[in-house]
Amino acid sequence: MKPFYKWASRRPVAVFLVVLALVAASGILIRSRMRMETDLDEYMPRDHPAFVFSDEAEERFLIRDAILVAVEHPESIFNPDTLEKLILIEEALAGFDEIEESDIRSLHTAENILGTEDGLDVRDFYTDAPEDQAACDRIRDDVRANEMVRGRLVSSDERAALVLVDLADGEFSRDLYDKILALAEQFEGPETIHVAGRPIVEGTMAILGPKDMARMGPLVILVIAATLFVVLRSLLRTLISLSVVLVSTVWTFGLMVLLGIPVYTVTIMIPVMLIAIGVAYAIHIYNQIDYFTREHPGSTREEIAENAIDVIWNPVLFAGLTTMAGFVSLTTSQVYPVKYFGLFAAFGVLAALLLSMLLVPAGIVLFGAGTPRAKPTQSGSAAAGSGGFGARFADAILKRPKAVLGISLLVIVLAIFGITRVWINTSFLDNFERDSDIVRTDAFMNARFGGTSTLNVILEARDADAFKDPALLRLMLEIQKSVKTRDKVGDSVSIADYLARMNKVMHEDREEFDTVPESREMTAQYLLLYEMSGDPENLWKVVDNEYRSANMIVQLKSDDSRTTTNVVSFLDGYADRLAEYGVTARYAGSGYKSLVFSGLILQGQISSLGLSVLIVFLLVSLMFHSLLLGLVGTIPVVISIAVNFGSMGLLNLPLTTSTALISSIAVGIGVDYAIHFIERYRERMKEGHAAPEAGRFAMGLTGRAVFLNAAIVIAGFLVLLFSVFPPNRQVGALVSLNMVTAFAGTVTIMFLVLRNFHTSIKEKNK
Amino acid sequence: MNAHANRVLILTATLFAAVALHAAEPSGTEIMQAVYDRPQGKDVQGTLTMTLVDSKGKERVRSLRQVTGTFASGEKKLMVFLGPADVRGTSFMNWSYEEAGRSDDQWIYLPALKRVKRISSEGRGDSFMGSDFTYDDLGDRHPSEDEHRVTGSESIAGEDCWIVESVPRDPKDLYSRTVTWVSKKTMVGVKREYYDHRGALLKTLTISKLESISGVWVILKTEMRNVQKNTSTRIEFSEVKVNSGIPEDEFTERAMTRGL
Repeated sequence: MKPFYKWASRRPVAVFLVVLALVAASGILIRSRMRMETDLDEYMPRDHPAFVFSDEAEERFLIRDAILVAVEHPESIFNPDTLEKLILIEEALAGFDEIEESDIRSLHTAENILGTEDGLDVRDFYTDAPEDQAACDRIRDDVRANEMVRGRLVSSDERAALVLVDLADGEFSRDLYDKILALAEQFEGPETIHVAGRPIVEGTMAILGPKDMARMGPLVILVIAATLFVVLRSLLRTLISLSVVLVSTVWTFGLMVLLGIPVYTVTIMIPVMLIAIGVAYAIHIYNQIDYFTREHPGSTREEIAENAIDVIWNPVLFAGLTTMAGFVSLTTSQVYPVKYFGLFAAFGVLAALLLSMLLVPAGIVLFGAGTPRAKPTQSGSAAAGSGGFGARFADAILKRPKAVLGISLLVIVLAIFGITRVWINTSFLDNFERDSDIVRTDAFMNARFGGTSTLNVILEARDADAFKDPALLRLMLEIQKSVKTRDKVGDSVSIADYLARMNKVMHEDREEFDTVPESREMTAQYLLLYEMSGDPENLWKVVDNEYRSANMIVQLKSDDSRTTTNVVSFLDGYADRLAEYGVTARYAGSGYKSLVFSGLILQGQISSLGLSVLIVFLLVSLMFHSLLLGLVGTIPVVISIAVNFGSMGLLNLPLTTSTALISSIAVGIGVDYAIHFIERYRERMKEGHAAPEAGRFAMGLTGRAVFLNAAIVIAGFLVLLFSVFPPNRQVGALVSLNMVTAFAGTVTIMFLVLRNFHTSIKEKNK
Repeated sequence: MNAHANRVLILTATLFAAVALHAAEPSGTEIMQAVYDRPQGKDVQGTLTMTLVDSKGKERVRSLRQVTGTFASGEKKLMVFLGPADVRGTSFMNWSYEEAGRSDDQWIYLPALKRVKRISSEGRGDSFMGSDFTYDDLGDRHPSEDEHRVTGSESIAGEDCWIVESVPRDPKDLYSRTVTWVSKKTMVGVKREYYDHRGALLKTLTISKLESISGVWVILKTEMRNVQKNTSTRIEFSEVKVNSGIPEDEFTERAMTRGL
């Protein structure tokens, strides 16, 4: 490759023109054919057994994610205006193309089945808007007496009523989201209208996350540009370094579009990543250029460029390869957006690497070395390897080996303690600010109704008519009763509830009959009666028409994984008792799917983390032809992994799909500091210098470059702390933290180990 | 004069009118009135087999014995389930009245409960036993509830038919409109399309077997297909007897508990 770069560096104009032509081509592609993918279902691996099962069960029981529209009145919803408003809201909702009339449920659409002296009375709570308060009071009394509606469609405090809209898969769109929010606003006053539900949360996230990243992008460029200018002290160098990362970003997206891959939410992180990571290569080249021009004043532009290519190509290549390894390790994930993210980010890094090796020398040849206007005061002496801050720092480290080791061990112990406390969170809602509308609405709904998240427990029996067996139905009631006592479980509905209600109604509404019927025949006859006089559509949401399988709906007041996992493992405890009836329990629904999905992401993360450490170790070993140096080189990243997860545990930051991605990427970036450092140290030793001098030299020259490199990456990612979207903030904080630890680990403990081991090896060889 | 005799008279008159008007086509209202006034028989009994087909093609079969009689007060109907086994003996009785505005009386008997329960329900739009038919689809809808218009003629299974479009006078009706193919020969609607409130086709009713028993046209095979949900219900009527002189006291709560 070196001859190619040297050949290219002698044709700087051609290099710039070719690069520009490719940018123009990518730009045209991106403008004409880029498309965004926001449907979360597209993110999941369709052929995974849990998803296949869930999709099938969702079809069987018409399980849909519902949008919840709550109408809250300051006193009571039982007044003519509010009850009429429910009808008006339903009519407005039914007017939307995405929504069928039969998808809407509310007090108004519900049927009230009442047990009377001589029979049963099946009627609507109300059909038309009630004329007067007396009519509203009658409706109120009916609601109070009906446990299928009370606390479900009308809150127990009677101040809120729900309109539920079951949304078919893929029906949610930005447009519908806007229409529903506009509708809510239109019906405000004196009632407050709240809109919640998973589609709303997912939709808001799909809109907010990328929007935020798009806003943060320019800010990151600005901060990186400013930092680069401070570091490089040259406008030209800043521009060239910036164009390296911008061009590599444009190429990456151009290639993505060329291959017909859509932009996923996670893909939005690529530009910020490339901008922060890609400038490093140019910094190291410029560092060498400055060193060379100081040491060899009067060299020609071509000589300067060729020296930089000669010296820097190897460490930059390996630094680039390890960074790519961090990204490529993500392709072990089963989740396509993550796979693509890894692949294309790796391509972007490669592009940034090649561009740095082309544009920086070409710039030198074309415009001159562009020596910094003001030289850093101490760098001259630091380069000489004595007296400078770097050298003094190197000496200080070596003088206090026990302190360095002790602090490192303490950090690791603390980190391991933290790691034990890391928990996984798949909540969508936790992605929003605590005081955001969406979180507050959710809290409101959860305070008044059964819960905004749903877990579908799919019970399957061997034989048809199994769910007519009173004993099995009683067990279901028992399970539901005890699951409702669990933390954050609000409600549960199953076929057993319907039957208990029927039984009570058929016994003149007497409380003692509020339980499942006593015989299989009676169950069958109630079900027939319900099919005849009730709304059988409701029935098919909780049982299939052969009565072979049932859907026990459990409503949760939180969508975080702790809640779902707790409930799932609690319910799993009933497996044996269900098995006595030949029944097995499995789970379905979007909440459960996202739990499995996140599990997959995290599982993939652990394997890609391992893989990236392995690849990095092999690459470093290969580069230095020494397994021992490979091990030494991986010290900083292993520490940074520990600190990364440890801090998450200690700060109660959960592992999420976005924070999980960080660690394996950080490995690839973090090891670069070690590579540059070891390379410089080794080179100096090869030149015949003694170990202490080589150490001081490496610390003085490369330590500075590595520090600047880390500072720029950190500055870029710290910008994300100003994001309004918490996951983006977490990414920014964690990448910065990883860079700090990787840098600190490199110049302290790794340096110490390097000096000790490397010296002993050298001595042994002698 | 009882209701039955009344109907026969009107029918005769209408048929004459239809014949007289042969050159000039009859109006939609006249056709639908003639369909409504078609002789039903004083009483009809038989075995009804209902096959419910869900969207995946899975079938559930229910069979019941159905007896219908027309009396001075109106029509009385008794249905007793024969199968599936766990609902055998469950019976359902409906009395509908000629008197305008008087809603039906309904009773249910569950053998497991050993008690007859009266059901008051306002929902004529309710599904009939979980099938694709509503109670309304099965009953005789009075022609005055809709505006009718003949939109053309077409031959269905070799039978010449008028196509009549009926739009409910009540905008809150279950359907926005129905289109009926009425056989010019038998005055029986042999096909009907039901449209939802968006104007989209919701269900299609077809009659595939019609027989004249004791001078009354009886539908022996019919199918309702919900094209939106992709479900369907087939009804077969067999062992049919017409005008066998069933007394009114066959339609009592006691009769319901007796079963078959």
